[in-house]
Amino acid sequence: MTAGNGGGAGPTVDVGPAAELEPGQMVPAQLGDLPVVVIRDGEGELHAYVDRCLHQGARLSDGRMVPCVDGAVVGDYREVEGPALKCPWHGYEYDVKTGCVSFDPRRRLRKVAVAETDGRIVIARRKEDLPAAAPTGAAG
Amino acid sequence: MATAPAEATAQGNGAAPPARELIDTDVHERALLEDLLPYLEPQWQRYITHYGWVPDRALPYSQPTAGGLDRADAKPGDGRPGGSDLGLLQRQLLDEFGVTHAILTGWLNASSMQEGWVEFKTALMSAYNDWLVEHWLERDERLYGSVQVNSWDAEAAAREIERLAEHPRIVQVMLYSGYEAFGAPRYHPIFEAAERHGLVVGIHHSENSPTALGRHRYFAEWHTLVPQVFMSQTVSLIFNGVFDRYPDLRVIMIEGGFSYVPHLMWHADQQYKELRHEVPWVKRLPSRIIREQVRFATQPIEEFTAAQLETLIGQMESDELVCFSSDYPHWDFDSPEESLPAGLNQDLARKIFSENARAIYRRLPAPEAARVEGVAA
Repeated sequence: MTAGNGGGAGPTVDVGPAAELEPGQMVPAQLGDLPVVVIRDGEGELHAYVDRCLHQGARLSDGRMVPCVDGAVVGDYREVEGPALKCPWHGYEYDVKTGCVSFDPRRRLRKVAVAETDGRIVIARRKEDLPAAAPTGAAG
Repeated sequence: MATAPAEATAQGNGAAPPARELIDTDVHERALLEDLLPYLEPQWQRYITHYGWVPDRALPYSQPTAGGLDRADAKPGDGRPGGSDLGLLQRQLLDEFGVTHAILTGWLNASSMQEGWVEFKTALMSAYNDWLVEHWLERDERLYGSVQVNSWDAEAAAREIERLAEHPRIVQVMLYSGYEAFGAPRYHPIFEAAERHGLVVGIHHSENSPTALGRHRYFAEWHTLVPQVFMSQTVSLIFNGVFDRYPDLRVIMIEGGFSYVPHLMWHADQQYKELRHEVPWVKRLPSRIIREQVRFATQPIEEFTAAQLETLIGQMESDELVCFSSDYPHWDFDSPEESLPAGLNQDLARKIFSENARAIYRRLPAPEAARVEGVAA
């Protein structure tokens, strides 16, 4: 999927065809001067966040979508509901549904409004600027 | 120490590097073995092309990160590893962050390997150094180099230092740490040669360095304990009299962070007070030796608040011991814009980003000369 550029455009930016972003994938976009990463989670829902790691500012869209791993005792590795977004540098992992970093839910990526409308993915700084179709991820 | 806090960057959360000079004391350039073949005599080429030699790697795991050893975004995309592409390094580090001086620290160093095929490895270090000069130092004026040496033959290492010291952009001798502590007298020719030429000795950890209890079951354990290697090396150099024998020598500990330093100073001082008679050639308190002759590169830095970092520096009783390093292109790269906390004292930030390194890398061109060179370029 080709990333939208949106540099200096209006309140919304067309990121690209919705069908090209499959579950578990992400795509970078640009909303004016704001770098954005748009993610489709494992259940098909779209999420968009400011594309900067909360640790040292890496572009998260250069990272990886990885399975969420949990375990109860030493040697127990279980993939649980996911995926997670892993930073390309130090590897901080984010819950794609909430934007929270895995080890501290108080640290959360800034959301960007995103919607799927007429087969296109559209992002905006405010959910009020999105097309009339129901937004799938609201800025908050 | 002034009290004005450093300004946060426009985009980031950290203390901004100074506009004028930013010295990065740990930048890894990387050669593939095949890149070095033209610099080797045929008899040594065969060790690679016919005998299948590859560097030792004693670590029982790899880096479980997004990009393995490297930042996921620092690989050239042609299958080569991070640090192998000058253009990418220029864009992602020198240009993006305004690094004015990058001290290249290499990748391939026989000192961290097991003893064996010593003559071949000594030749390999020479080949690497020649490759470094041709492909990196002579292609960007912001790059400064380190002599890679094979410490298993310290006399040959000293000759290699002599050979490379003639190059004006060589500022350091690199010793990568394996399982040997470098204070032993057999290594002294290396320190003698470095001191004589005004070269810093950089000690860097490697995948071949164990912890005090081996390598542990998980990478997270081993990586947490990397500072143990630097405590061992610092203590070894102090109590084996290296700093007393070579008083103009400067050593920088690279890629182990620095938060262990106050503990090391306090603990070594106490041992010295109680056991000085065992090491009578040591003439100064270890903490004083450290303040006068040892420096510590920042990476991998913890997420400090400004107050925490200033307290830590205060415990060292010197704000001149810590030098910024990014460790580009590795996965735990520290950004010049965000690795130091916002609100950090401006004078301290300036010392960490440039002045402390400049004080020990005495072969760097003077700031005025560097500025003129930059304009001319």
